[in-house]
Amino acid sequence: MLAGIDYFIVIAYIIGMLLLGLYFKKFVNSSEDYFLGGKSLPFWAIGMSIVVSDIGALDFVGVSGQAYRYGISVGNFDWVGSVPAMLLAAFIFIPYFWRGGMYTIPEYLGRRYNQKVRTIASVTWILFFALDLGVLFWASAVLLNVLMGWPIWISIVATAGVVGLYTYFGGITAVIMTDVVQFVIMFIGGFALVFLSLYEVGGWDNMVDKIATMGPEYRNHFDIIQPQDTKSPFPWTGILFGLTFVMANAYMIGNQSIVQRCLTAKNEWHAKASMIFGSALKMFIPILVLFPGLMAVVVHPGLADGDQALPMMIKSILPPGLVGLMFAAFFAGLMSSVDSLLNSTATLFTKDIYEPFIKKGADDKHYLKVGQITTLVLLLIGVATSPISSDFPGIYVAIQTFMSYFQGPIFAILLLGIFWKRTTEWGGLSALVIGIGFAVYLNVFKEQFFTIEDPFLYISWWSFLLGFIINVVVSLLTKKHTEEQLKGLVFSSKILVENKKL
Amino acid sequence: MFNFDWLSGVSQETAKMIFLSLYALIGILVLLLPTEYVYEGIAKEDRHWWNNLKLWSIAVLCILASIYNHF
Repeated sequence: MLAGIDYFIVIAYIIGMLLLGLYFKKFVNSSEDYFLGGKSLPFWAIGMSIVVSDIGALDFVGVSGQAYRYGISVGNFDWVGSVPAMLLAAFIFIPYFWRGGMYTIPEYLGRRYNQKVRTIASVTWILFFALDLGVLFWASAVLLNVLMGWPIWISIVATAGVVGLYTYFGGITAVIMTDVVQFVIMFIGGFALVFLSLYEVGGWDNMVDKIATMGPEYRNHFDIIQPQDTKSPFPWTGILFGLTFVMANAYMIGNQSIVQRCLTAKNEWHAKASMIFGSALKMFIPILVLFPGLMAVVVHPGLADGDQALPMMIKSILPPGLVGLMFAAFFAGLMSSVDSLLNSTATLFTKDIYEPFIKKGADDKHYLKVGQITTLVLLLIGVATSPISSDFPGIYVAIQTFMSYFQGPIFAILLLGIFWKRTTEWGGLSALVIGIGFAVYLNVFKEQFFTIEDPFLYISWWSFLLGFIINVVVSLLTKKHTEEQLKGLVFSSKILVENKKL
Repeated sequence: MFNFDWLSGVSQETAKMIFLSLYALIGILVLLLPTEYVYEGIAKEDRHWWNNLKLWSIAVLCILASIYNHF
């Protein structure tokens, strides 16, 4: 599928990323440098990094496929499913985490609730990230295998070698700065495909007219708000309650790999600005990943599998050279996801598990070494577990489903933890455990409870709501925390005007 | 109840207005933030209108609202 120029672009890209990442090795002298970039990074780099690490190659294919099937309503995930949550994170949560000098979200939960809540949250994230790593290695290997003809195991080792080397040596600074380049490549490759596809379909208005005449199943293809009784997974009620109120906030506020980036900012303004800048960039993502799926409806009508939409468009529309660039964009999405997982998991393990449970009070160089060794061990685990993906093709979806169990309850305890002083450690712990259990229950018996195809948005909302109620009730029945315990951990209007140091 | 059947009478146009109202509400809340707070981290002499994060947020919300208004 690739021409000579395409091979050159892809290989130059991979080598360039490796060299750029390794350049940042010289800035790593302490654990703070490794995990928080020495708190020295500018908002624009962090904003780009947040966006590019949020979108992987699997999303390129998956979202285009969903746009092919369900239309523009898929864009809700990057529009209303990101912007309000990122503004809430920027103005309320990030300043607390940044001022508190925190490394991880579970660290906040540990200070606000107790060590058990911190450990449960941290172990859950570590498990999720470690599993995801193997899946991403496999996905990148399949891409390299199909397009470059490299054997699967060589592809896996090549990906792990490149990403692992710069993440091991350069820490989060290398992760973020390589993300910046990956962002640029992703946008150039993505927009090239969109513009050429638009030309192919005769412009936007022509495409809309053609799709409108293709039959009743395309009636709502350009309605961003879908009716409550739609059979698609995106009714407006699910988008509002499940996505906007719960999942988006849980993702932008409770996801270690997102929040950790903001904590690398050189000052509080840059920390807030990174999220807001990221939200502006996020609004362009649907253009890159959704529009090709819509245009494929016209160019390749009647595809049995919507996930074929994007590969078909690349094959039929892009000339040599741009195919290589588009593939580099895919690979950029994968690499940025893998390096984020590696660094965030190493941070979670070192700060939430190793430091409190295995070796307290060691010198900083020791924790830096632990972080690097953890990165290496994770790489090996990722490589070793990657073949699981070929044995269980649905594992990516299964991992995402597993995360949706966790999102509602974690956001309930974060929200109440920061806004309500009366929330207690037992309230938080019971909300987390019962909320996750309830989400699992709803998912197992979803046919009995829900009428839509994939009710993950509704499950998030109802598990959030139950977690919220349990937290309130149990907190009112248990002993409240003292003012001293809550200092710097609960929202106060003072933070807005005078409380600069927590 | 789990499927929000009790909201089945709400039309798509009304639902769209709910989303647009949400953006307006967020915009008002952002405008209510103290200006000192949104500039925190920037020296007083370096504070300009272009690094006022309220303006950034309002711009982002306006673009978002226009997308929902269009589609």
